[in-house]
Amino acid sequence: MQLASKTYTAEDIGAVQELYHANGWTDGLPIVPPTPAAVEACLEWAMTPPDFLIGIEPVRAQPVTAEKLAINAVMAGCLPMHFPVVLTAFTAMLDERFLMHGATASTGGCAVFVVLNGPIRREIGASGSFNALGNSDRATAVIGRALRLALINIMQVRPGEIDRSTLGHPGKFSYCVAEDEEDTTWQPLAQFRGMPEGASAVTVMAAQAPRQIMNEWTTEPKEILETFAAEMRANLRHYSLRAGNYAIIVPKQLREHLQAAGWTKTDIAEFIHERARIPRREWADVGKSAVVRDRGDSIYSALESPDHLLVVAAGGPAGGFGAIIPPWLGHKSQAVTMAIGACVDCEPSKG
Amino acid sequence: MTFHVLDPTNESTPPLGQLAPRPGSLRGKTVGFISNGKEGTKGFFAHLDRMLREDYGVANVIFRTKSNYSAPADGYITGEIANWDAVITGIGD
Repeated sequence: MQLASKTYTAEDIGAVQELYHANGWTDGLPIVPPTPAAVEACLEWAMTPPDFLIGIEPVRAQPVTAEKLAINAVMAGCLPMHFPVVLTAFTAMLDERFLMHGATASTGGCAVFVVLNGPIRREIGASGSFNALGNSDRATAVIGRALRLALINIMQVRPGEIDRSTLGHPGKFSYCVAEDEEDTTWQPLAQFRGMPEGASAVTVMAAQAPRQIMNEWTTEPKEILETFAAEMRANLRHYSLRAGNYAIIVPKQLREHLQAAGWTKTDIAEFIHERARIPRREWADVGKSAVVRDRGDSIYSALESPDHLLVVAAGGPAGGFGAIIPPWLGHKSQAVTMAIGACVDCEPSKG
Repeated sequence: MTFHVLDPTNESTPPLGQLAPRPGSLRGKTVGFISNGKEGTKGFFAHLDRMLREDYGVANVIFRTKSNYSAPADGYITGEIANWDAVITGIGD
């Protein structure tokens, strides 16, 4: 396998770290040395040649090759088995609907939230249980980090360069979750979003930090979901009135009440769509009266339609908690779901 | 132990756009503004509009706003640029 990247020599592991930090090639944490052997192993696992063009970021005409993505994946700690997920997630991020440049350059400071579905979760040891939105397992940690390092190094998305974030949030180190498909009766997110049953897939979403809710004092689905909707209304008030993709994370304790009552993801999305909306006049209650003007009675919904809600079953088995994950800014960037190692909407071969 | 490690960056820089010829003077010229539409740009462009007309004798100022402030300018806007003598755009918040 012929790699095209420039090779550097470092005398020891400490020198490798200093070389990468000094060049601005890290997220501030130590990296795994991207040796040719490690990078080739990733490419071979994904059966992808190094010069395979994953895509071209359209705003700044930046090409992304499999080799460069694999280098960053190795640096993040990925094993070869993780690389197909990174490859698919970055391909999804290059989809026009995701608006990579805007989503990664904006002062809004969002991160790339990734949801894994399908058999690959178990193959790579991705967990959707305890600490799902934190450091739950190796696979989700390194996959999320690989995407950030690739943005830093391939797209120059460094703070103060392309990344103009005012605050950012901790998800910019890594923000990946596996759905807990084994412990729910709900349809997996990827299937809900059009992927075939049983396919492994990733969903990427330009997302703000999670906002955690708690309601362990009811088993009534509408009351449980009202708490999620209220947090979305809070986001409409305190952050942005714009409708977009929101995700809600529903751990097992609350999920079981919803499932026992027969509520599907569709039922949840329809209820949240109706409840997560506010009149513009509420902006006056939170210090934003200057922009209410004569439109106080206008109603703003968090979701343009129910299918814009990403309902994800994940989280540890105990605790009446949940989370909403708001969009970067309305629908400027849209969530994209893509199958791993399969072309779902390709033309069938002729003959 | 010596390590041989790879450059994680794109290494090559994409070609930059070519700057249009600079006008010798702005007097009597048409200048276009392409705004990203953010709140802070209103006062900035209003002031710049006044300054260009009063101090530099600009004849016309054309004001256009992108439909998505995080995406490139819409095609209908870039299509108009050929009719202007100069265009002002950039990062604004």
